[in-house]
Amino acid sequence: MDVQQKLTILADSAKYDAACTSSGAQRSGGRGMGNTVMAGCCHSFSEDGRCISLLKVLMTNHCVYDCKYCVNRRSNDVPRAAFTPEELAELTIQFYRRNYIEGLFLSSGVFRSPDYTTEQMIATLELLRRKYNFWGYIHAKAIPNTSQDLIYKLGLLADRISVNIEFPSEQSLNLLAPNKSRKAILAPMGQITQGIKSGTRDLALYRNAPRFASAGQSTQMIIGASPESDYHIIKLSAGLYDKYQLKRVFYSAYIPKVQDALLPAAGGEPPLLREHRLYQADWLLRKYGFAPDEILSEETPNFNPFMDPKCNWAVNNMQLFPIDVNTAPKAQLLRVPGIGPTSAARIVTARRTGRLSTDDLKRMGVVLKRARYFIAAKDQPTGYKYTKEGVIRSLIDPSVFSFGTEQLSLFTPSKPAIGASSVIEAAEEAILCLKATI
Amino acid sequence: MSKSNNLAQAADVLYVYDGSLAGFYSCVFHSIYSKTLPVDICPEEALQPSLYPAIYIATEQDKAERVRRSIPQKIAAEALPLVETVFLSCLEHKELHLLEFLLMGYAQGARVLKMLGDPLVSKIYAAQQHLLGEKQLLLGFIRFSDYGGALAAVITPKNFVLPFLAGHFISRLSGENFLIFDKTHKAALVYQDRTAEIIPIETLELPEASNEECEYRAMWKSFYKTISIQARYNPKCRRTHMPKRYWENMTEFN
Ligand code: SF4
Repeated sequence: MDVQQKLTILADSAKYDAACTSSGAQRSGGRGMGNTVMAGCCHSFSEDGRCISLLKVLMTNHCVYDCKYCVNRRSNDVPRAAFTPEELAELTIQFYRRNYIEGLFLSSGVFRSPDYTTEQMIATLELLRRKYNFWGYIHAKAIPNTSQDLIYKLGLLADRISVNIEFPSEQSLNLLAPNKSRKAILAPMGQITQGIKSGTRDLALYRNAPRFASAGQSTQMIIGASPESDYHIIKLSAGLYDKYQLKRVFYSAYIPKVQDALLPAAGGEPPLLREHRLYQADWLLRKYGFAPDEILSEETPNFNPFMDPKCNWAVNNMQLFPIDVNTAPKAQLLRVPGIGPTSAARIVTARRTGRLSTDDLKRMGVVLKRARYFIAAKDQPTGYKYTKEGVIRSLIDPSVFSFGTEQLSLFTPSKPAIGASSVIEAAEEAILCLKATI
Repeated sequence: MSKSNNLAQAADVLYVYDGSLAGFYSCVFHSIYSKTLPVDICPEEALQPSLYPAIYIATEQDKAERVRRSIPQKIAAEALPLVETVFLSCLEHKELHLLEFLLMGYAQGARVLKMLGDPLVSKIYAAQQHLLGEKQLLLGFIRFSDYGGALAAVITPKNFVLPFLAGHFISRLSGENFLIFDKTHKAALVYQDRTAEIIPIETLELPEASNEECEYRAMWKSFYKTISIQARYNPKCRRTHMPKRYWENMTEFN
């Protein structure tokens, strides 16, 4: 089998992993090849609109495990392939020189054993770092049940390392990934957290070697294949950020590809809108200083499909508004729907030169479509006059309408929408319902 | 015109200059010392027939240098890179806007940089953002081909981004020889034997791609196709992140 055929098989079987970012490491080029930039860099976008930053492939899609949800599971009949470390290192270098990619994202099925597989991955990374003197970005997946010293070695070679938590609860994991245990996932996660904290580098082997997984650790979980609520999920994420200092938690809408009584029927839609809401809530946790309990609660454990979580929080807390853009601290500005970190920073800078009006805000690039209901400014000292219905209508997320009714039914528990014949009808019901609560 | 014309009298003349940064600074010098504000400032190459009398402002290095030095001294250190970045942008009438911005800066001092709600200042910042945004996208979207060991890429940007791309690619490909040809602005960044320069160049004839080059292109295209998930098909999202005008120079679309 030639490298082209292997690439097709091993990219195809790697593509369901959500992470592709190359962020978190800043390293200027030196004698060898490559550098990395803090914010990461997208080199292309695929037809599904996702960023392509790294050459995302598996070392091999042979697998001795039989995870029920996975296309590469032992019992599935698919074409199998394996790269040799030499082939994959050369391919990475040639793609990198041409600026197709920012580096390599290497994961793998479990071939023979977790240790054997990890050794193959390490051999590839060693070729890259030592023979080719490659200093571009490398993200490596740690395979559960790999021995500690191999995980350690992997972390010294990679910029980022991640272990997939796979499912939001232990029950779901046991049910759907019988060969992986919660313990086998959390053990390497903890080890990596420790490794990053200690900041070790392999000075004996490489001059200027980067620190152990210097771009940090991330994880991903599959959404919609198991019954956990959104509240449960964001609590879990907040815990992971806190306990393991993860850089990112990725959410991957489950794509029903296989028929199994324990899983949603094959051929159904992935819950993309729900995944979208999870990412929005995740941003609120990481960048806006929200606590999970401000976003959802035991009583309201699931997202409002029609509104992003920040807007939803704001309509339920109208008594806190309007806030004055000319005096409010930055943290409060960030609570306004439509004002993000960039706008907040601009407001804080510009108001030093005089009181700001809504026209000033517009010229500064602050989008007022949603923000106007929540702020006071020079020309609107007591805020904007609005009706309850007016606010709600302008906060409805327009992308809901392009997602379609099936997406609404993929929220748990499915919204009244399920009976509605169109998204518009369902949205009208939701507007009435929200109006009653504020 | 805004607060900027307190130094100069609006005059019905058009300044013409050689298109260089020093030439632009010479125009600023002339405007200040003649106390006139031109209706526009045009590089001679782009000069259109006009109703207004044109006067040619010769480039004078010492005057240009005095203006250049006055920017950090009288306005703020950050004003200099801002002005010189916007000078390379595709903002229409950028020279006139920059002159107005400088006059405003001389009057207001460092404060001008924080007046984000001002119509002129916000326009200047938007032009800078536009250039830096385009540069950011091109850091990823540039595609090199290997021709006998040297790498070559073609770009067609709206802003003159080559000076902003140089550092990144030199650091990344320090051991290679490479060239980035900007077809829009007819210039190329050439990096050879560890030295880089930007030179004017009309056209670029590239040789036929080797077999090996074709193989890597084919592999990249098949990777690109394979990595997309059918069930998530979303061409609108792709276009938002990667506007179509970049596609013409990208391997995966050729
Ligand atoms: S270990 Fe499980 S999830 Fe990973 S490739 Fe094998 S079957 Fe798939």
